[in-house]
Amino acid sequence: VTLTAPLFAWMAGAAALVVVLLHLLAWRRPPRALLPTARFAPDAPMRTVSRAVRPADLALLALRVLLLLLVGFALAGVRFVPKREGTARVIVVDRSLGAAISKASADSARAAFRAGDAVVLFDSVAREVSAPARDSIVPASEFAAPGLLSAGLVAAERAAERLGRAHDSVEVVIFSAFPAAGIDAATAGIRHLWPGRVRAVRAVRLPNDTAVARVPAIRATADDPVAAALALGGPVAGGSDVRVARETVTADDSAWARAGHTVVAWAASLGSAASSRSTPDTAFALTALGGGGATGASAATVVAPFQRLAIPLAGHVVARWSDGEPAAAEQALGDGCLRTVAVQVPGAGDLALTPAFRRFAVRMAEPCRATRPWAPASDSVLATVLSPTVPRDSLSRAAASVGDVPSNSALAPWLLGLAIVAAVGELLLRRERANATA
Amino acid sequence: MRERRTDGDTTGTERRSSLLDAIRGVKWPALRAVAGALPGAHHSRLRGSAPELSEYRVYRQGDDPKRIDWRLLARSDRAYIRLAEDRAIVPTMLIVDATASMAFPVSTLGKWRLACDIAVGLAAVAHASRDPVGLVIVRGGELRQIPARTRRGIVGEIAAALDATVPDGQAPIAPCLARLRSRLRAVIVSDFLGDADDVRGRVGEIAAAGGEVHAIHVVADEELDPPMRSVLAVDPEDEAVARPFLADSRAAYLERFAEWRSQLAAGWRSEGLSYTLAATSEPASRVVRRVAGVALGARAVPSSVREEAR
Repeated sequence: VTLTAPLFAWMAGAAALVVVLLHLLAWRRPPRALLPTARFAPDAPMRTVSRAVRPADLALLALRVLLLLLVGFALAGVRFVPKREGTARVIVVDRSLGAAISKASADSARAAFRAGDAVVLFDSVAREVSAPARDSIVPASEFAAPGLLSAGLVAAERAAERLGRAHDSVEVVIFSAFPAAGIDAATAGIRHLWPGRVRAVRAVRLPNDTAVARVPAIRATADDPVAAALALGGPVAGGSDVRVARETVTADDSAWARAGHTVVAWAASLGSAASSRSTPDTAFALTALGGGGATGASAATVVAPFQRLAIPLAGHVVARWSDGEPAAAEQALGDGCLRTVAVQVPGAGDLALTPAFRRFAVRMAEPCRATRPWAPASDSVLATVLSPTVPRDSLSRAAASVGDVPSNSALAPWLLGLAIVAAVGELLLRRERANATA
Repeated sequence: MRERRTDGDTTGTERRSSLLDAIRGVKWPALRAVAGALPGAHHSRLRGSAPELSEYRVYRQGDDPKRIDWRLLARSDRAYIRLAEDRAIVPTMLIVDATASMAFPVSTLGKWRLACDIAVGLAAVAHASRDPVGLVIVRGGELRQIPARTRRGIVGEIAAALDATVPDGQAPIAPCLARLRSRLRAVIVSDFLGDADDVRGRVGEIAAAGGEVHAIHVVADEELDPPMRSVLAVDPEDEAVARPFLADSRAAYLERFAEWRSQLAAGWRSEGLSYTLAATSEPASRVVRRVAGVALGARAVPSSVREEAR
């Protein structure tokens, strides 16, 4: 049993003690006795104070004490809570940034997992594993954008609050590579909602932020318009890890992609990387979707007539025709990826030389998301964000929302109801006593 | 009137017998010369031809020539008449208060028993002087009266009437006094917790008319010295009078009760009336002797007064 405001309980106890003392010093009417000379006694109130060893009117006393204690404990917020013991942990695992990185985080998390810990998996969204076990911590099989640490913290704090009701202390352990893109403005505020400890365990896999910016390698004919556009587009961040194949994709390309590189299958004619459309037609605009992330690339749109002869392989769409149909897509291949661009660039004309198409070509030659360079959050930033120091302006919020004891008690309405019943009973009993002594 | 059979008749008879034995020989002369004509034991205002010479007086016109002392006339040639003191009776009426306040203490009825004994004792003393004795019992809702008689057995009749009475109710005494003759000896045995002022006014009229009034104030020891325990004291004649009787109010009660008693006694005595306080701890025979003693103390009636009365 715990009390939210023990002061009310103490006050109720003191008031009950006063009531008991008052019953020991109860006003009572002395017994009647005939006295012919009663008229010579001074006229005074009929009742007199007398002390007694035993309290007078035990039923009334019990009702009054019960009434006071019920009200006091209702206001004190009495609650029944399970006994707390031990230390619990919330294991938070980042499953973003591809299979390799998430595998590193998952391996570390599995090593640290103990029975009774809660497990939260997050990438762009977070979820808590309902029946956590060591094997429930699995890495992602596909690439995912840098995980939102805020989402993981929200789910972790919910689990920590639940575990805190049954344990002495709760520790939140985050296993992640902690990309800088995963930390947003809300992360620090969300972390400060949890007054307990948050420990960060960085994944061992280092980010590939050392990729060289250069013009991607292209295997094409000498008069290939895409090669011209890329040559005019200039270096591409991480371009050293990109290979553009304007011809058929070879086994060597696949192996190279599995090694963590990007192969852009942009066939000059209907190639094996893309399947042919059933009804070829003409599209008049083309857009490479904004990638965001570390490159900060924006959308690149080309307005021109294109013959649509093929459709890209299934995967993450990175470019679309004006009617929304995918124009390019990429799919993970080992630690790298294969991007299929189903855009037929006319060899005649100067379309490939226009700035719009050059930008489109550069976007298509960027590394895949899985291999795209990402910057890890520095240790100082991480320490600041996950610091246990609660800012002054967040202190009240933290205490109010993640406090050990909620402000309301489920027993309070019942106690108040019983107090009302006791008050009515006391009133009726007192009236009965008054009628009896009248 | 409700009849009461005392469970201790033998004890009561013995007590009554011892009372009568204790007061045997007690004289209860009238406080002043009486105007009665019937021969009795009390000095009469009339001067008659009793064989006991009192004094001579010069014959005046209108005196009975039969009363001239002829021998003295022969020796001194002056006409004197012989004067002798007459003796007369005094009708005595005992007015006994039998209201509820006299039934106190409830367990012993001490006040009522003492009042009965005093009344019987005084009746016996008066009857011994051949005075007619009567009784008036003032009880709530009814009034019992035995006319003053000198016949044998009147004392027993009075005692029986008193023994058959249980004090109860509330009734004034003054109206009973209004129906009495003026020239008599009235003895009021009461606690005077009722219409004391009205009674004193009425007995003042009786005294002014030549009557004699004795007030015997019966007080219980429990009233003079109440117990220390806290009670709600209720007047048995008026339950609306209910006062808390507490330890700290006891002193005030005793003071007020004593002051009332002194005022009552002073009021009676200031009008030349006899007032006797009788506590239940005092034997009735002693009270009777004290009442009679008051009369004995005032027995020496100056001859000048008697002359004026003549």
